[in-house]
Amino acid sequence: MTKTTGFGISRRTLLAGATFGAAQLASPFVITARAAEAVKVGLLLPKSGPYAVQGEIGQHGAQVAIDDFGGHVLDRPIELIWLDESSPQTTQQNMRKLVEEEKVVAVQGGVSSGDVLAIMPVAERAQRLLMATGPNATEITGKNCSKYTFRVDLPNKVTVNSVYPLLKERGKKWYFVVASYAWGIDAYNQMKDVVVKDGGNVVGYDQAPLGTTDFSSYLLKVRQAKPDVVYVGLGGTDLTNFLKQMKEIGLTNQMALSAPIVNDTDLWAAGPDAAFGIYPKIWNYTGAHITKRSTDFVEAFKKKYGQPPEAEGWQDWFGMTSILTAIKETKSTDSTKLVSFLEEHKFEGYKDAPIFFRNFDHQLVQPLLVAQVKEKITDKYDYFDIKSEYPKDPSALDAAYGSQAEIGCTFKS
Amino acid sequence: MTELIISQVVNGLVLGFLYVLIAIGLSIIFGMLGIVNFAHGVYFALGAYFALTLRDSLGPWAIVFAPLGVGVVGIVIEMTLMRPLYGKEPLLGLFMTFGIALFIEELIRTIWGAAGHPFNPPGWLSGFIVWGPVLVTKYRLFVLVVTILILIALWLFLQGTRYGRIIRAGSRDPEMVSMLGINLKRVFTAVFGLGTAVAGIAGVLAAPLWSVVPSMSEAAIMPAFVVVTIGGLGSFGGAVISGLLVGVSVALSIQFWPAASTAVMYALMILILLVRPRGLLGESWERFE
Repeated sequence: MTKTTGFGISRRTLLAGATFGAAQLASPFVITARAAEAVKVGLLLPKSGPYAVQGEIGQHGAQVAIDDFGGHVLDRPIELIWLDESSPQTTQQNMRKLVEEEKVVAVQGGVSSGDVLAIMPVAERAQRLLMATGPNATEITGKNCSKYTFRVDLPNKVTVNSVYPLLKERGKKWYFVVASYAWGIDAYNQMKDVVVKDGGNVVGYDQAPLGTTDFSSYLLKVRQAKPDVVYVGLGGTDLTNFLKQMKEIGLTNQMALSAPIVNDTDLWAAGPDAAFGIYPKIWNYTGAHITKRSTDFVEAFKKKYGQPPEAEGWQDWFGMTSILTAIKETKSTDSTKLVSFLEEHKFEGYKDAPIFFRNFDHQLVQPLLVAQVKEKITDKYDYFDIKSEYPKDPSALDAAYGSQAEIGCTFKS
Repeated sequence: MTELIISQVVNGLVLGFLYVLIAIGLSIIFGMLGIVNFAHGVYFALGAYFALTLRDSLGPWAIVFAPLGVGVVGIVIEMTLMRPLYGKEPLLGLFMTFGIALFIEELIRTIWGAAGHPFNPPGWLSGFIVWGPVLVTKYRLFVLVVTILILIALWLFLQGTRYGRIIRAGSRDPEMVSMLGINLKRVFTAVFGLGTAVAGIAGVLAAPLWSVVPSMSEAAIMPAFVVVTIGGLGSFGGAVISGLLVGVSVALSIQFWPAASTAVMYALMILILLVRPRGLLGESWERFE
């Protein structure tokens, strides 16, 4: 017997009817999309795991950039295809899927350095532009650099120098807790070199697996070692957990705290009572450094998503803007042409000095901020006071990122 | 060094109680209904999110009402999605709970957003107690006490009451119990509700310690499975011993080899399964042998 609904129509008929109706409703859009083939851009950002929040904010940033272009480039609609970035293996598979099946013209993303190092060879082999917006391991634009990879975020080697002068005022005893993968380990190596060279000493060094929820046992060691500075290579929920648990055992503000980079969302999640520290920041939505173009971005972001953009949002907004600018200016989606364009172009108005990708390592050369968590936080989102810009002298900008000889990058092709 | 080891062992034991608390609900549902509940982590997360929403209007009562809310969600899910699968291929139950886990996590993301939410312990539970080398925070002691109370209450309920006897008998021989004129459907629904409510309590209590984000379910589900597997599926006593064992192993590995601190619980699980496949206190059970 067929089950019937109240009107005597079988469920099967009803379902079939509904499907047909939905197809009818959708069809006008299908036809429009066919008229001009979309320019597909791949996005690899976390949808799960410790960096899921950064992933969402990054996607929002990229979307605002697409909106800035009216959703079109070269008179074709822009289609953003977002796949998960959750581990080096799955990210690599998703990268292949984007390049081989979706035939995207470029790929943007990568919060984790480990994931980015895994997809760089895929981009190189497929000769497809990879805009690495979020990773910080020095080697990405250093000894592992690639002709098709451009990096928006800051290398650890640069950020350690930006915060060190403020941190060394707090004392010579340093404790390191870092995530046990490329980014965290590089952060330790870079900062340790600076500290040791200046006569400081390392009183503890622990690697914590990515996605650690409970840091209480680490914090007992930190408490025992009584360091002046705690330097954590932790991000996402790891940093949130670390801050909450520091608060729990009364270590908040008892020592200086810093990290190779910081996302506002990690501190928002910890809350005003637990958040503290001095951090390098690629960008902040408030402060004297902000340009007209950045203000427009902040407004557009707020309007669309109901909250101000944090650093990750800016990175992915800028990354997508640079890809789309390259496509528009070269009137091409050919990665080789996009690469040549990006190597030469100066982007003005995004920060208070023109910013550009260097042609010998593809690192975005840009001023960064040294930011301190406010003593008294009154706004839900406004957590930082900007202490200074690094480098202080804009003419020292290029040198701050290291010379070609120091970087050790040679492109294969 | 001895001092540090003592302090780590105590910290591990306290952490272990948190693991036990997370694992109990999973253990109840498996032990009584024979369902491996992959969605356990999302009930844990729902507990934290319900408390987040209720704390403004209910204050401390959120601790009570949030888990009740999770129990209600559990009951509705049991009646609509789980019930048709009883007695069917066990794999179907796995798929269903896995699907529920993904769905509810997305639902949490849609309702409360992907970003984390600050969640502080109540003022009277902030601070810590130092006793020689040992440091324990008041909040974690509170969690420990609550866990022990829940365990005692559950044990008394299952061993000493008529309902407890029906549940235990029903889990062993549903057919016989039904023939005695007892409505087992209702009993199973109640057990599922109880298991998910306990997961909700764990979520509420973990919220001030860990990040309150949609993916917090992932942080809960793996230790819970490890604890239940090591302890013996369905065994309360086993879950307690194994939770503490996992807590201490993790704490000591952080002292000596922190990079391996996540791997150590899986290594422990593999070891126990090799030596004693049914877990530490797992009984041999005709249904699963």
